[in-house]
Amino acid sequence: MLLKTETYNQQNKFVEYCRNGKEISILGAVPERLPHYRRLVFNGFKDALETTFPIAFQYIDSKIWDEMVYTFFSSHKCSDPQVWRMPNEFVDFCEAENYGEKFTLPFLNDLLRFEWMEVEVYMMEDIEYPANISTTILLQSKIAVNPEHKIIKLEYPVHMEKPFDAVDKKGNYFLLLFREKETGRVQFSNLSILFAFLIENISAEEKTLEEILNDILYLFGINDLKMLQTKVFKFLDELKARGFVLGSLKI
Amino acid sequence: MLNINCLKLRRTIGIKQLHNQKKMKAGIGFRKEFAEEFLSGSAIHPGFVELAPENWMNIGGYWKRQLKQLAEMHSITSHGLSLSIGSPEELDMKFLKNIKQFLTDYDIEIYSEHLSFSKCDNAHLYDLLPIPFREDAIKHVAQRIRQVQDYLGRQIAIENVSYYTPVAAEMDEATFISAIVEEAGCKMLLDVNNVFVNAFNHNYNAKEFIGNLPLDKIQYIHMAGHTKVADDLIIDTHGEAIIDPVYELFEWTLERVEPVPVLLERDFNIPELNELQRELSSLEVIMNKKWETNNVIENRNI
Repeated sequence: MLLKTETYNQQNKFVEYCRNGKEISILGAVPERLPHYRRLVFNGFKDALETTFPIAFQYIDSKIWDEMVYTFFSSHKCSDPQVWRMPNEFVDFCEAENYGEKFTLPFLNDLLRFEWMEVEVYMMEDIEYPANISTTILLQSKIAVNPEHKIIKLEYPVHMEKPFDAVDKKGNYFLLLFREKETGRVQFSNLSILFAFLIENISAEEKTLEEILNDILYLFGINDLKMLQTKVFKFLDELKARGFVLGSLKI
Repeated sequence: MLNINCLKLRRTIGIKQLHNQKKMKAGIGFRKEFAEEFLSGSAIHPGFVELAPENWMNIGGYWKRQLKQLAEMHSITSHGLSLSIGSPEELDMKFLKNIKQFLTDYDIEIYSEHLSFSKCDNAHLYDLLPIPFREDAIKHVAQRIRQVQDYLGRQIAIENVSYYTPVAAEMDEATFISAIVEEAGCKMLLDVNNVFVNAFNHNYNAKEFIGNLPLDKIQYIHMAGHTKVADDLIIDTHGEAIIDPVYELFEWTLERVEPVPVLLERDFNIPELNELQRELSSLEVIMNKKWETNNVIENRNI
């Protein structure tokens, strides 16, 4: 490296000051102007996180929120050069620091993950839609769905309730997020575990709908195939009306 | 899909028009905040638009469609935020690969970056920090710029940044910038407002500073507003209209620089688009007055 250790140390000290505010001596620096950098850099983080997590920011006590944001800012080394992706690192950081337990916010991991996932699906790179589709949903065919989607598993229903109302409703929740082709808006659909299994298997494009239903009969201990088919077709029709299910893949 | 042939034809017209057209037009930094109204095409008529690639690459959906529409309407220049050319560590080649792809996808001729660092010890701070004005930093940064240029297969332009305190400086800023431009073989983006801000904050003469820069290497000019936060301190906010003394410095500068693209930056406190159009028009009046007669003063006469 052409940079001398002394120069590197000065840059590093400057950055460390910006992050943790500890008093330092930087050659030639104007001490009373250093706080402006610290303020500007911190505000960049603060604003990005408040914008990405509006629900968490609204409902979490401001002192706790500030502590989480400040600790992240001062101790986490952000690796992504695209600032809009930085909040994803905040989600992982809060989970690793076990903030949900520390601050008695059991829904925290789910809430942050849910809010980030909306951004991620909204911004994700375009994925090519399947070609050769029949608009009818056929039992003997593989089903085509909007490829721009994610399914997340939550312990608390933060997608349906205010965060603190969700605390006593711990369970297994599955949420489908998909991006509308025409508008780019993100749509949500609450899924039962059976329908989450169904959608994940449909997305894999490895089995026909009939084969997936047979798997469901076996795995979920269901005996009534006709009833299952009726419910699944109703569910798929609803998702088709919302632009998620596209039809059947032609062989 | 973008009609690439049409795009390339219009691009060729676009940037070259900046030099050849009878009435030169200034560009504007494109912001999501005004994207919808901007793309309706009636409120503002810039000569070109500038994007930060970091905010627009590797995305899809609504904003990618907006970007495609923008690219069909305007020539695009790019002004990076996260290359961190002054960082001690190695360049992020994955990031650079994405930049290269973005420049190719949208047929972008000008890629500029800040002469600053925003990453240290492998941690991004997402802000522009001043590089120590030192001999070893010149060698280090110039070598990194050459590496970027080799990889991208083009010259890049580096921008003089505003700074509020020097960090371990051993020389003056103009000497530092000039040496890097010379050693790296790159172009320069002259931010006139940054010169004004720095001259005020560090008590030097703005014209003398500009006179000491390699003016023949200037590829691009930025203009912006700022905010005075104390009697002795201005912050480069891009959140106000350009003030008269910065216009005067701009006018003085244009007498010494060949015609190049000029851009208005407005990132915060964004007004109505017709207000931004008025600022563009003010810049264009000066550009056309100073450059239409090709009366650029030789650098040696400064």
